[in-house]
Amino acid sequence: MWTFAFKRLLSGAVTIWFIATATFFAMHAVPGDPLTRDKAMSPAVRAQLEQRYGLDKPLVTQYRLFLGNMLKGDFGISFTQENRRVNDIIREHFPVSAMLGITALLIAFIGAVAAGSIAAQFRGQWPDRLLMMAVVAAISVPGFVIAAVAQLLIVQLNNRLGQPLIPVAGWGGFSHLWVPALVLGLGTMAYLSRLMRASMLEVTNSEYILAARAKGAYGWRLFWSHQLRNALLPVVTELGPAIAALTTGGFVVELIFAIPGLGRYFVQAVQQLDYTVIMGTTVFYGAFLVIMVVAVDIAYGLIDPRIRYSRGR
Amino acid sequence: MNLLNVENLQVEIGRGPNSVKAVRGVSFSLAEGEFRALVGESGSGKSITGLSLLDLLPSKSVRRADRFQLENLALPNQHHGQWRKLRGNRLAMIFQNPMTALDPTQKVGWQIAEPLCIHRGLSRRQAWQRAIELMERLAITDAEKRAHRYPFEFSGGMLQRVMIAMAIACEPQILIADEPTTALDVGVQQEVLGLLNELRESRGTAILFITHDLGVVAKIADSVSVMYAGQVVEQGPVETFFTGSTTKELHPYSKALLAAVPDLSGGKPLQGIAGQPPDLRRPPSGCGFAARCSQRMEICDQAPELFHDANGDHRCWRWHEAFQTYLSQQGQVRGAQHD
Ligand SMILES: Nc1ncnc2c1ncn2[C@@H]1O[C@H](COP(=O)(O)OP(=O)(O)O)[C@@H](O)[C@H]1O
Ligand SMILES: [Mg+2]
Repeated sequence: MWTFAFKRLLSGAVTIWFIATATFFAMHAVPGDPLTRDKAMSPAVRAQLEQRYGLDKPLVTQYRLFLGNMLKGDFGISFTQENRRVNDIIREHFPVSAMLGITALLIAFIGAVAAGSIAAQFRGQWPDRLLMMAVVAAISVPGFVIAAVAQLLIVQLNNRLGQPLIPVAGWGGFSHLWVPALVLGLGTMAYLSRLMRASMLEVTNSEYILAARAKGAYGWRLFWSHQLRNALLPVVTELGPAIAALTTGGFVVELIFAIPGLGRYFVQAVQQLDYTVIMGTTVFYGAFLVIMVVAVDIAYGLIDPRIRYSRGR
Repeated sequence: MNLLNVENLQVEIGRGPNSVKAVRGVSFSLAEGEFRALVGESGSGKSITGLSLLDLLPSKSVRRADRFQLENLALPNQHHGQWRKLRGNRLAMIFQNPMTALDPTQKVGWQIAEPLCIHRGLSRRQAWQRAIELMERLAITDAEKRAHRYPFEFSGGMLQRVMIAMAIACEPQILIADEPTTALDVGVQQEVLGLLNELRESRGTAILFITHDLGVVAKIADSVSVMYAGQVVEQGPVETFFTGSTTKELHPYSKALLAAVPDLSGGKPLQGIAGQPPDLRRPPSGCGFAARCSQRMEICDQAPELFHDANGDHRCWRWHEAFQTYLSQQGQVRGAQHD
């Protein structure tokens, strides 16, 4: 399995190179550049700046320079934030995004496994109906609406209590973290819940569960040692896409809740055509997702012996 | 004394007018070491009968019985915690397809060890050790290594041995085997049958062997129960069942079953009884087989009870006292004419 993971990482590197190249040329194809501002700039100043940032060089040369620096792990200096290195931006702000993302993923995954299992257990009865109604609502309402509603509710709650119980926005301890994480994870949780329910129903009706019951297994033993593991398989395969969805969803949630994560800088950079920041964050996110997908594959192999063995040999 | 007595078992799956009356009167007993074959066309309720012995019916099923007794223990009609202590312990089951009846994500060693942890309170390590012994007993070579393997790494025959090991781990008194050889190659079928036979001889395990392979029945069964449309229509010792067609009368359905088997030793599946079994959502009020029966009479519109005679039980009006008297008179008349 580990050779398999290594191969996946290798092909991931190619993917990242492709992403980097595509982003590089797409970015340069957009009219304007980081120096295009509202304020007029004298041609002399502009030329000087262009020279300083290397924008006067031919595009292919710029590309070569960029690739060379990227391999050294250096993404250069931001155009719009004076003297800030892109690496520093990532180092300072990614942990915030990661914290938010991981919390959201945990909430989504654990919530989905619980909700899906309960719904399957009570198939057709009120807990199932209620949960599935909530799932449809959570899937069909966009994340930013849920975020706004959540903020409204918090404000009302705080007003009612006369003291700020839950912060409406900002970043700090756990109290700042859980509402945005819940909002971010909600859609994913809903989607995974439905998957978990279907998969749990299938497992429950399978012959091996009947056979396990014929051995005398029931209740929690049956659930932990036979139902859960099998039912998790299709859900775990969906974790890769789920992580991607949470990463991109994080951009919006960070903006709404004023969280100083990397997503906000990424969105800003795109708006301002901050070449180095765009390239840096894109490549970084690309690498992050590739690693996550491989991690999910490994997790899948750990749960399903069939995969583990077929890939390992 | 019998290990198991079942009287007038009834199972209804689902609710309302479209519920399936899958079992509509099954009575039989199992003595120690008895090998009873339960035969009948597919859909006749054999599996449901087997599952109801373990209280493992589909959800929304209702089970009723006049008597349901395991040795001295009268079993409740409804779901009850009592069943859990019996399943895999005193009563165990082997399923038709070992490929789908084993958990794909668990080592086979654990799957065999599990009932020992549940019912005997063994530690995981002790149970694992017992599992390896069981595997060796069932002639699985390299048991120590194989116990660590997963079901997908085994062949079908090997998996059926694993399933048997799993079922007999707690030394059950009664083993229900639901077509355990149907999904296997012919050679493997013989091995599995040999294992089951050895089990009842060495341990006195009673076996309810569900099959539609009459060849198997002829070879090793002690007694046969024939099911049709949810009912036992005939049962008795295996000798009278197979010789019945020449010396004694058999139930018309049993006759049809036997006639449909081209060669008993070939063990081919049943085929070629004209017509369809009745829809068990709306079972006929009279005899279930009447619509397909070549010896149908007027009275067959009424449901026959299970008549008893020296050869066993028969659910057919031809065993009614009046009809038997009539038949014997006919015989005498015919005998007189011959003189
Ligand atoms: N889970 C179920 N839900 C509804 N009907 C079922 C279910 N399982 C079996 N039946 C019905 O019960 C009857 C007997 O089935 P079964 O015992 O499996 O037959 P056999 O094993 O003799 O082939 C059939 O009519 C079948 O359609
Ligand atoms: Mg069956």
